[in-house]
Amino acid sequence: MSETASVADVPAQTIDVAGTPVALRRRGEGRPLLFLHGAGFTGRWLRFHEALAAGADVIAPEHPGFGATADQEWLEGFDDLVLHYDDVRGALGLDAPFDLVGYSLGGWIAAAYAVVYPERLRSLTLVVPAGLEPPVADPFAMLPEQLVATMFNDLANVGEVMVDPEDLDVAVHLYEEASTLARLVWNPRYDRKLERRLRRAACPALVVGAEHDRFAGDEQAERYAALLPAAHLERVPGTGHALVIEQPERTARVILDFIGGLA
Amino acid sequence: MSHLQFFHFGLMPYPHIPPGEEIESTWVTLSNSHYDPVEGHRLYNEYLDQSVLAEKLGYDGTCVNEHHQNAYGTMPDPNVMASHIIARTRKIRVGIIGNALPLHGNPLRVAESVAMLDVVSGGRVISGFVRGTGMEYHSTRFNPAFSRERFWEAHDLIIKAWTQPGPFEWRGKHYDIPYVNPWPVPYQKPHPPIWLPGQGSMETIGEAARRRYPFMMVFAPIAFTKLNYDMYRRAAEEAGYEPRPEQLAFCVGTYVAETDEKAHAEAKDHIMWLFHNGLKIPDYHWFPPGYVTGRSLRGMLMGKAKFNMKPHTELTYQELLDEQYVIVGSPQTVAEKLAIYTEELGAGIHVGAGMQVGDMPHWKVVKNMTLFAEEVMPHFRPPGNQPAWERGEPVPGAVQPDAVPA
Repeated sequence: MSETASVADVPAQTIDVAGTPVALRRRGEGRPLLFLHGAGFTGRWLRFHEALAAGADVIAPEHPGFGATADQEWLEGFDDLVLHYDDVRGALGLDAPFDLVGYSLGGWIAAAYAVVYPERLRSLTLVVPAGLEPPVADPFAMLPEQLVATMFNDLANVGEVMVDPEDLDVAVHLYEEASTLARLVWNPRYDRKLERRLRRAACPALVVGAEHDRFAGDEQAERYAALLPAAHLERVPGTGHALVIEQPERTARVILDFIGGLA
Repeated sequence: MSHLQFFHFGLMPYPHIPPGEEIESTWVTLSNSHYDPVEGHRLYNEYLDQSVLAEKLGYDGTCVNEHHQNAYGTMPDPNVMASHIIARTRKIRVGIIGNALPLHGNPLRVAESVAMLDVVSGGRVISGFVRGTGMEYHSTRFNPAFSRERFWEAHDLIIKAWTQPGPFEWRGKHYDIPYVNPWPVPYQKPHPPIWLPGQGSMETIGEAARRRYPFMMVFAPIAFTKLNYDMYRRAAEEAGYEPRPEQLAFCVGTYVAETDEKAHAEAKDHIMWLFHNGLKIPDYHWFPPGYVTGRSLRGMLMGKAKFNMKPHTELTYQELLDEQYVIVGSPQTVAEKLAIYTEELGAGIHVGAGMQVGDMPHWKVVKNMTLFAEEVMPHFRPPGNQPAWERGEPVPGAVQPDAVPA
């Protein structure tokens, strides 16, 4: 691990969201930025979070069934998550338009939120979002090492997020997170209605793509950028689908520059 | 020696595929371009002749099951095969072990098909219910995370459809049917015996025990089978009763020949096909997310570590014998090994007696089935070596008057 890899931990706090205890981490000053995580890399404050917190009040909740937020019986689909995150917004008192950022699965959730509640958003940033098309690689039909090899183009920082799958607690927790993920995306693996609905998300938008995304596919980021009314696409050189781990500071800088440049 | 009922079981494999080490899986992704229907025609008819032979040889039953898109067992519709066997037999019990309930859009179709078979056969059907393997959730894209919920809702719907006069309305989470009113209803009352074959998920074992359904372990080492039987007994105890041997089944293929040496020489290659080719399945196909609970997964992983359980493809022939995944030998040897299941584990149903495995040719299957029936079965039966259906014994799992919880 390099020197820059050490990041001061931000412990999770628990807030009550309409009766559901939600684990979240929060650091930074400035405008509130709600970050929705992907299907992995949960349970910790990442270098990427820290880099974002240099320019915003970063609020990073964990989805039900991920990290330290317990799985919820009511969670069956994306519509439940959209309503849940509007409840999270209410619980946090985000009454003025705020900046929403989602990575991978979180990008899909953010897009689903944006088409239902476009007036709530100051901006929308989707980082290698899923949801418009099925992933080009089947995430449920890979060994853990194949998944890593597909998601990362640059393995330099992979040690920061490596867990020991031989550890029983880790194995069970990962399986439980994947089980929640399956409930959401096993079938279908994309939302065929989203394509038409994205026209509703009219706020300024940024799509952050990888240089070469062998997981979600390179075209998906382009499709999002084309379908959102006020979006542009930026790719982070040298990265794959795990760009928030591969190039955390650079990816965060792209997002902060975009948000900072808004009127 | 203790009593045992013997059920013939053919998986109906399609053995002409590349070696296990050359393919990702014998399921899901193995191209069906390997399947030659002319060869399939020959194989199906040999396999069906073997099922029919089970009656002539006095087996207590013969079984079929449901699997999709694989070479391990080419029986996507077990009810079709059961229908064929029923038409060519008179008395033998036919176990469908089972229909994979969550893999069907409307479970009433299963209720109808099984009821038809039960009526046509005059009440010879055993209705096994399974969830389908993890592989089948990859193949069909039914959601494994809803598999358990769909299984039990479908089960409850089918039992109600078989036992309550229709029409009635079913309003569930996964199925919503305005007029549940199947014609016909089953011949056996209140309904055919229900069996639950499983892989050792705690939830399934507990539910099976509470409902007094026979539970069957499939292709497991004997130590793991014992652990799961103990779990069943504990759940039964909590429900206030002691399970009978006929509630505990084990699926273990057997091969019997004149001597131990001859049996090994004749069976080994075919058994290795089953475990190294037929069961070539990566973990991600076996256990898609949500297929078992985290709690069950923890139990299974701990069990695997405790008993040093290897993937099927890594087991040597000697390990398969030592851990009793299979039983091979002279009639005396096979009877002694089966007696461990009856004496030490308290089991009462053996499934897989004389079973065809892998690329075993017809002549060996007939020889094995015949020797098993004539030389092994008498050790576990009253004098006369008659099957249960001649002795007038109830089918294991038939609903008994004492089944109503006190």
